[in-house]
Amino acid sequence: MATEEAGDSKGESALSSSANRSNQVPEKPNYALRFTLLGHTEAVSSVKFSPDGEWLASSAADKLIKIWSVRDGKYEKTLCGHSLEISDVAWSSDSSRLVSASDDKTLKIWEVRSGKCLKTLKGHSNYVFCCNFNPLSNLIVSGSFDESVKIWEVETGKCLKTLSAHSDPVSAVHFNCSGSLIVSGSYDGLCRIWDAASGQCLKTLVDDDNPPVSFVQFSPNGKYILTATLDSTLKLWDYSRGRCLKTYTGHKNEKYCIFANFSVTGGKWIVSGSEDNMVYIWNLQTKEIVQKLQGHTDVVISATCHPTENIIASAALENDKTIKLWMSDH
Amino acid sequence: MAHRGGERDFQTSARRMGTSLLFQLSVHERELDLVFLDHSYAKPWSAHPDASSARPTRMLFVTPRRQHESTIQMMDKHLCCVKYVWSGPISSPVYSESDVPIDVETVTSTPVPLYDNQKARSVMNECERHVIFARTDADAPPPPEDWEDHVNRTGWTMAQNKLFNKILKALQSDRLARLANEGACNEPVLRRVAVDKCARRVRQALASVSWDTKLIQWLHTTLVETLSLPMLAAYLDALQTLKGKIPTLIDRMLVSSHTKTGAAGAEALSLLLKRPWDPAVGVLSHNKPSKLPGSPLILIASSGPSSSVFPTSRRHRFWQSQLSCLGKVIPVSTHLLNNGSGVGVLQCLEHMIGAVRSKVLEIHSHFPHKPIVLIGWNTGALVACHVSVMEYVTAVVCLGFPLLTVDGPRGDVDDPLLDMKTPVLFVIGQNSLQCHPEAMEDFREKIRAENSLVVVGGADDNLRISKAKKKSEGLTQSMVDRCIQDEIVDFLTGVLTRAEGHMGSEPRDQDAEKKKKPRDAARRDLAFEVPERGSRPASPAAKLPASPSGSEDLSSVSSSPTSSPKTKVTTVTSAQKSSQIGSSQLLKRHVQRTEAVLTHKQAQVPISSEQTEEVEKEDLRVQLKRHHPSSPLPGSKASKRPKIKVSLISHGDAAGGACAPSQGGAPEVSGGKPVTMTLGQASGAKELTGLLTTAKSSASSEGGLSASPASSAVSSSTAPSAVHTLQSRLVAASPGNSLPGATSASSLLQGLSFSLQDISSKSSGLPASPSPGPAPQATSMKLPTPMQSLGAITTGTSTIVRTIPVATTLSSLGATPGGKPTAIHQLLTNGGLAKLASSLPGLAQISNQASGLKVPTTITLTLRGQPSRITTLSPVGSGAALSEEPAPQALPSSSQRLPPAP
Repeated sequence: MATEEAGDSKGESALSSSANRSNQVPEKPNYALRFTLLGHTEAVSSVKFSPDGEWLASSAADKLIKIWSVRDGKYEKTLCGHSLEISDVAWSSDSSRLVSASDDKTLKIWEVRSGKCLKTLKGHSNYVFCCNFNPLSNLIVSGSFDESVKIWEVETGKCLKTLSAHSDPVSAVHFNCSGSLIVSGSYDGLCRIWDAASGQCLKTLVDDDNPPVSFVQFSPNGKYILTATLDSTLKLWDYSRGRCLKTYTGHKNEKYCIFANFSVTGGKWIVSGSEDNMVYIWNLQTKEIVQKLQGHTDVVISATCHPTENIIASAALENDKTIKLWMSDH
Repeated sequence: MAHRGGERDFQTSARRMGTSLLFQLSVHERELDLVFLDHSYAKPWSAHPDASSARPTRMLFVTPRRQHESTIQMMDKHLCCVKYVWSGPISSPVYSESDVPIDVETVTSTPVPLYDNQKARSVMNECERHVIFARTDADAPPPPEDWEDHVNRTGWTMAQNKLFNKILKALQSDRLARLANEGACNEPVLRRVAVDKCARRVRQALASVSWDTKLIQWLHTTLVETLSLPMLAAYLDALQTLKGKIPTLIDRMLVSSHTKTGAAGAEALSLLLKRPWDPAVGVLSHNKPSKLPGSPLILIASSGPSSSVFPTSRRHRFWQSQLSCLGKVIPVSTHLLNNGSGVGVLQCLEHMIGAVRSKVLEIHSHFPHKPIVLIGWNTGALVACHVSVMEYVTAVVCLGFPLLTVDGPRGDVDDPLLDMKTPVLFVIGQNSLQCHPEAMEDFREKIRAENSLVVVGGADDNLRISKAKKKSEGLTQSMVDRCIQDEIVDFLTGVLTRAEGHMGSEPRDQDAEKKKKPRDAARRDLAFEVPERGSRPASPAAKLPASPSGSEDLSSVSSSPTSSPKTKVTTVTSAQKSSQIGSSQLLKRHVQRTEAVLTHKQAQVPISSEQTEEVEKEDLRVQLKRHHPSSPLPGSKASKRPKIKVSLISHGDAAGGACAPSQGGAPEVSGGKPVTMTLGQASGAKELTGLLTTAKSSASSEGGLSASPASSAVSSSTAPSAVHTLQSRLVAASPGNSLPGATSASSLLQGLSFSLQDISSKSSGLPASPSPGPAPQATSMKLPTPMQSLGAITTGTSTIVRTIPVATTLSSLGATPGGKPTAIHQLLTNGGLAKLASSLPGLAQISNQASGLKVPTTITLTLRGQPSRITTLSPVGSGAALSEEPAPQALPSSSQRLPPAP
């Protein structure tokens, strides 16, 4: 069920003061709430736009995956099959399949159109926490509380490689744009970069004070890595040289693995949820907070950006259970 | 072919790049150029008379040190020229972080790989395309995706379980690499590296059970039965790779499957496994190095006494064939008496130096104007250097140089090497253990001779680059080898042109002309070959017990790591040509005598082939192409041809010499044609073409011959159809003699027995045929001996055959009235092998006396004539476009037969 917002007022940025700076080169976004999607009966854990921009998939602690239409915020269908809470969901490049990571120690590959579960990937010995397709969508990478990263073949559903990656639960895994590298982040404070073909660790990024890494992602061109740590900090790394280039702060993130994102459809932003129930948007270059989206009533665990349009989807935990779609002119 | 034009464009642009085709691949330190740019008054390095004679070092694929900080090389799979694109100005600490705009979107454009991507991808997926042929039962449904759960492991021993799991793990890793690399811009190179890795792991697993025959055969059968198709393809890829490295072991593994799967599958399988594919196949074969000016003789100094127990490494053999693209290559090997017992190292070394030295002297005395280039690997390089101090040679090329000794680096004041005056090129690996680039620089400073140094980045003593290097820079060894070769050519061209350039323009022009001839050889693509075969299981050929070695020879030229065969064939032909023309034209007018018939034909070949219309050749090739795969026999013939051919020649000679009057007459008239036809057929389409165009009558007679066993129409006397009929006849005739699938003897022997049986079976078919009168006569005289020799060979152990040729060669040469020099002289000036054979009655006698030894002996001769192995196998010209590199297993033995010093 979706409720449509009449005006922009709710989503208006609280930071109008910074708009006075006329010499600001990149304009500020004006994201405003467009839809609120109701349906999940438990905390939502992850929302993802399909690469073709048509659909939004959401996973939740109610063991369900729901598909929503981006156009009108309409509920489309539910994929059910997992026996425990789902932590993450990811689209294949052709938007035809989904992979979901669940606390039932399995991943499931879904065919979106039919809503059928194609494969169940068994092998992890603890909660599966994060998952992603590679760009060609012939491989799936998953991270788990069993501290390993597994690479699966989509076609057969077989585990091809297990990387004994970390010494704490793995919080995020992601392929780069060419599919040659995998990045994994873990509560042990490490970010590791792996050669996808051989499973060799190529690089390890460590922060000085070693806070748990709650999220990690490659930039769209694969040159940088965005990491989130549980000291309420987002960092942009040039991983080839192991240097931190940018630090984004101001939000609150000390407990949950909150998704962050590059927004490249309008201005270049960094978008992340926050434990103060807001969505934060930073200017990628200047690191300033350019907008905060208010509306959720619990921790915004996931915020994601539409691939081609200025749309942000955000989802919140169990006090809220809603997904909100925000849109901006630029 | 729409991409063809583009390909050509690419080639031309590649040529324009400079002397070296792959120049742009390598990161050259161009500091010297920078000096010139900044300081225009700077004099060249050699301006000062007292300047060191060491030329500036050339770096091939050496990553400049200042860029070493970029540790993740693998993430950027681009070629090195664009590798460091992302390391922008950020590195300067002066900038504040936020000053630098960060582009998170733009993807660095991927450069076009230097090889022919399309072709590379095609060969890359060969195993996947033809995986079905490995299946025992092709009709059975393919194993489900979850085959792994269905594998019934009950009754497996622990060893079996362990081995299976190991292989499975290797295959899974390979699968991961395949999937992860899919679509990458240099996927073929990455795939090649991954397959090599998988092959290595498989080999390790198999070695862990000591290649226990029972176990590995069980494993192979099980894998073939149970693996899912993609996994099976990965497994076949690994087998294909290993087959090139350890053919006999792999054959042993496959034997059981052959008996079970039946001929068609096994044959297709071995066809598939004949040779590992190479991503750089297209580029390298289309951009061949040109011959060196002044037609130098390239002497290769061996790096140790040759031994039948330790055959020369594949790499050295490969290089020998590569070098033969540049000029005539003469390997000099040393043989130890008494198997080396009681021979000290020093003695041995002296022996080696002596051998090279005497060879140099010998060549000097016969070809006083020919420049001599000494080339050696490692110790051989040292030998070459030492010889150059003693004798005059034009240039020395040291491939890998053992600079570091137990007593420290060479180049002490009393080191005789410092007295070298010959221009010398050192090619060393950056990671070489026996040499160090910096120590090398010190050494070079001290040498008086003009010298150059090429450092190959990431390469070892044998100039092989590491896997990481391949991966990070999108290289293959074949590309690196070509670059090294180009450097050698660069160096030698400089030296040779400075040396008195007396070479005529004629051979050069012919080279060029030769090169223009189209040589499309995408024969690696089995797509159209195998299905055809598969669709005709009832064909007689399919019933043949497929021998791994037999069908292995059915390989495609283009797939050879370097595509050298074609090159070599061409160059050799052209090399011979200039000298052959005179003699053969003379011979043509002669009244033919027994030997002359053969000699004549032999010598004629290049000429006639030149006269042959392009179209005809094209036809011929098409024909061959089409018919080759239709049976393993023509294919195996293709590589065995030369052996047969030579044996027949010497045989004919022998016959002519021994029982001169009676049989001498036979070949003289048209009755000789069958003999020559056999010869022609055996020695390749080109020769056949030559024969047929020059002697049409023989073609027609041949057509008559072939009409009976083969159902094919004897339509015309043109070459293609003749080839056709010949081949189809062979197909028809051979099943009668169930060919042995023996793997016991060396596969060369197999090959020989194969081909000899071909002949004998064919000739046994002959009497029944309505062939012209003289033909049976020829057959009858021909038939027994091959059979005899076949028996002798097959019963003889491989070692005997291996060791004998050397001895016989020597003795036969010694027995020759003319002595060695004459032989060489004739060989070089007249080119024709047959000429040599005819001039060596001693040889003929020997081969006649000991029929078992005959074939190897003659091979020796062939090898000496055109020392490169490919040359050896097809000295016939571009008709041998189909001629393949010899079976890998055949190689060790055949190259051992290289004579010590003709």
